[in-house]
Amino acid sequence: MVSIKATCDGSLSSINFQIAAITFAEKWKKFNSDLPEWLWIDCSNRLGFAAHGVRDGYLSVQNVFFQIQRSLKEDYGECSSLNDYEEPFDIATLTTGDDGYWYDFHVVYSSSYSVPVLYFRARSSDGQPLNKDEIEKNLPTGSAKVLTDSKWTFITQEEHPYLNRPWYMLHPCGTSEWMKLILAGENPAIENRNEQYLISWFSVVGQVFGLKLPFEMLKSVG
Amino acid sequence: MSGDEKGPVLQFATFQSSVDEGFWHGLSSLKLNKLKTDETPISIMGFYTPCSNPHVSSHLTLLAESLPTEPSDGLPTATTHGNRNKCSVPGTLYNTNTLEGYQSLDKKGLLQAEGKKIWEDIRSGKAEEDSSVLLRFLVVSFADLKKFHFYYSIAFPAVVLDPPATLVDLRPASEWFTLEEAESVSACCNEWRMSSLTADVPFFLVCISSNSNATIRPLKDFKACQHEDQKILFAFYDPYHGPNNPGWPLRNYLAFISARWNINKVQFLCYRENRGFADLGLSLVGEALIQPSQAWQDEEHVPKVIGWELNKERKVSRRVDLSTSMDPTRMVVSAADLNLKLMRWRALPSLNLNMLSSTKCLLLGAGTLGCQVARMLMAWGVRKITLVDNGKVAMSNPLRQSLYTHDDSLKGGTKKALAAAESLRKIFPAVEGEGIVMSIPMPGHPVPSKDEKNVLDDCKRLHDLVESHDAVFLLTDTRESRWLPTLLCANANKLTITAALGFDSFLVMRHGSGPLSASYESKAESVSSLSARVEEMSLPQSDSKPRLGCYFCNDVVAPVDSTANRTLDQQCTVTRPGLAPIASALAVELFVGILHHPLGISAEAEFGNSLDSGSSEQPLGILPHQIRGALSQFSQMILVGHSSNSCTACCPTVVSEYRKRGLDFVLQAINHPTYLEDLTGLTELMKSANSFDLDWDNATDDDDDDCVEI
Repeated sequence: MVSIKATCDGSLSSINFQIAAITFAEKWKKFNSDLPEWLWIDCSNRLGFAAHGVRDGYLSVQNVFFQIQRSLKEDYGECSSLNDYEEPFDIATLTTGDDGYWYDFHVVYSSSYSVPVLYFRARSSDGQPLNKDEIEKNLPTGSAKVLTDSKWTFITQEEHPYLNRPWYMLHPCGTSEWMKLILAGENPAIENRNEQYLISWFSVVGQVFGLKLPFEMLKSVG
Repeated sequence: MSGDEKGPVLQFATFQSSVDEGFWHGLSSLKLNKLKTDETPISIMGFYTPCSNPHVSSHLTLLAESLPTEPSDGLPTATTHGNRNKCSVPGTLYNTNTLEGYQSLDKKGLLQAEGKKIWEDIRSGKAEEDSSVLLRFLVVSFADLKKFHFYYSIAFPAVVLDPPATLVDLRPASEWFTLEEAESVSACCNEWRMSSLTADVPFFLVCISSNSNATIRPLKDFKACQHEDQKILFAFYDPYHGPNNPGWPLRNYLAFISARWNINKVQFLCYRENRGFADLGLSLVGEALIQPSQAWQDEEHVPKVIGWELNKERKVSRRVDLSTSMDPTRMVVSAADLNLKLMRWRALPSLNLNMLSSTKCLLLGAGTLGCQVARMLMAWGVRKITLVDNGKVAMSNPLRQSLYTHDDSLKGGTKKALAAAESLRKIFPAVEGEGIVMSIPMPGHPVPSKDEKNVLDDCKRLHDLVESHDAVFLLTDTRESRWLPTLLCANANKLTITAALGFDSFLVMRHGSGPLSASYESKAESVSSLSARVEEMSLPQSDSKPRLGCYFCNDVVAPVDSTANRTLDQQCTVTRPGLAPIASALAVELFVGILHHPLGISAEAEFGNSLDSGSSEQPLGILPHQIRGALSQFSQMILVGHSSNSCTACCPTVVSEYRKRGLDFVLQAINHPTYLEDLTGLTELMKSANSFDLDWDNATDDDDDDCVEI
């Protein structure tokens, strides 16, 4: 059952998040052919029991590749001092390599703020994880502005609630406020309220990374 | 010309690896818990999928699940068996114990050994049964678990064909198949990929009958398929995305096909996908010509193997630095910073966190006040804290002095200053806490000549400590012990905060700025920019506004020995337990207020209800001079006390005398307390007060009722 009241204050209930997440992933797959799919990772039995019908979990998309034009300044200083066994190529080898960064994004529900949160991590092709400054430096130029101006989104390191390792996230403390503004003009009684919530939410946070929702997806929720 | 007929040399696009952080986390715990110093090679698992993106190749990934839970196990358990998103291939990990060990590994030899395993699987036919062995890989690594740096090199051993294979034709699969064939091929490939039995089998045969019907057969059915009247394509999951080359797996595949079945003209299908379905536009079909090598006739012969992966700088070895996500100290620092940043972001945008974290604080006294002040400072992000105390932790101390535990009080008791600094580090590893065991020389406690040198050293040391810090907290338990520090702070114009406790009352105050302009000494040394800023801020004493007072400014007697002639219970400061935390907290909040006030220590005294508070109020609120609290009333008063020109600690006379005569002056003051009174003119003042005749007889009694106790 759609909880109408919850969305008027900019928040989303946990159950509605799950419903919306699955639909989001389906629509994304249907309309967005460029990027990898979102998968719902189920964590219901994490604690050894499933709490009355609630499917605990999060949305995940792995290996989103962002190509970069300029050459990277990487720390290889120490490596060059190692005695490298440099294999001479044979003529049957074509060397390849991509110049860019790989991102993983997870959409996780935060029960303390009652909103979805975007967790992410980035690494270069060599597996070296990017730190916060490097990530911020490599954001699309428009979004770096979004981060500093809006004062509602900032990047911080936090332990991933399911994976128990440090990831980065866009801090959720301002989310309900700006979601309230975005949904202000909307009719609260429409059917796919939760879907609309998640899609609107993503259209804002995805901007930080230059992830655009396809037009059809936005249109599908009015 | 013969080369041209056969086509150009077939170039295979190199495989690329992608090592997930989780792999290193897993290796770290495996090493710490199970392996320890064992360097036996470990069987691991890598995962890849067919290319699914026209712009980017798919990689061989190593994840946490790549490692076995027990090093002696065979390959990791087949939880990923039959998973279409994780086609598993076997590999070997050589992890060394030292960097030198890693550097001196015989990489060439190891590569050859790994290649030999593949060759033997080809010869024996094992590759027919389990084709993933054709993609066997090799990792050598060294894990520096102190710095959380991981050095590694990866190889994808490939048998070298000599002479190399040549490429007769290569084109997108959609151009090679007829429409009907394409449809049929797509359908059965998708079926192959959907079935959990076959989804992770990377090498297979695509057989196309004359009626354009395609079927997929496992490699071991090859002999059977050969005799049926159909085209056979040797298909494999191709990780590479480019249209002009097949991916690396084809190398060993061709060697296998040639060695096992003696086929030298091979039609192959580089299978690639899009959105989870076969993409025949991205997939390639080609034809290769192999020239069988004579040497292969020899059973013992093992062909040459290449395959070390190179990084962008064309080096084999690479290093990954995971300290920000694995080093607990770095993680706790960023967590603590987040807390303060949230405060600034949500409530106090003008909070200057850099200033807080760089302000060096000196705490004189590591007792009930010192412990609490230190904790509060750390909570505000202060990182450099020095505690001075000459005592040991007594058994009753841990109850009220929040940095000590029972263990500190055993065996006679650890030195407080040292125990306190250690305790700070245990709370927050990134703090730069220092404990200094030292007594503070006090007036009224005369110094026997044999101890004179030590006392003078202590004075000098205290002087240097005050100079080298930005803020000083006077948190000792006697009045006279505050004299010298007050003088030194006034001399150096430092931010000084005093907290003092009565039984159920407290005083927290900030000292005013020093009486004289910056001394030559402190200007020359210019210890910190903060001190310099404070110097600049202090108003010249001759100007309109009077300086605020210090702890002694309201006193008309010089500090004397307050502890002599008292019983034991009178010598210890007995206070209600709640008092120290309250006073300490106020002291730190006052300190933060001063730091953020544009005038710093020269800021005027502010009151809660004053009319002009609106204009001068800072985001943190008012900046009082003195706060006196009475716990019996649960009340606090905000007061001001201006500096006195006869103050025994901070008046211009005293400070200039100190500057002129230095430690000699101090020694004289310590040994002869009346000296200070004489010097400052207090003696004169008292004489004149005593000679002042008052006529009390005319005072009316009913006036007494109007008196109010303050």
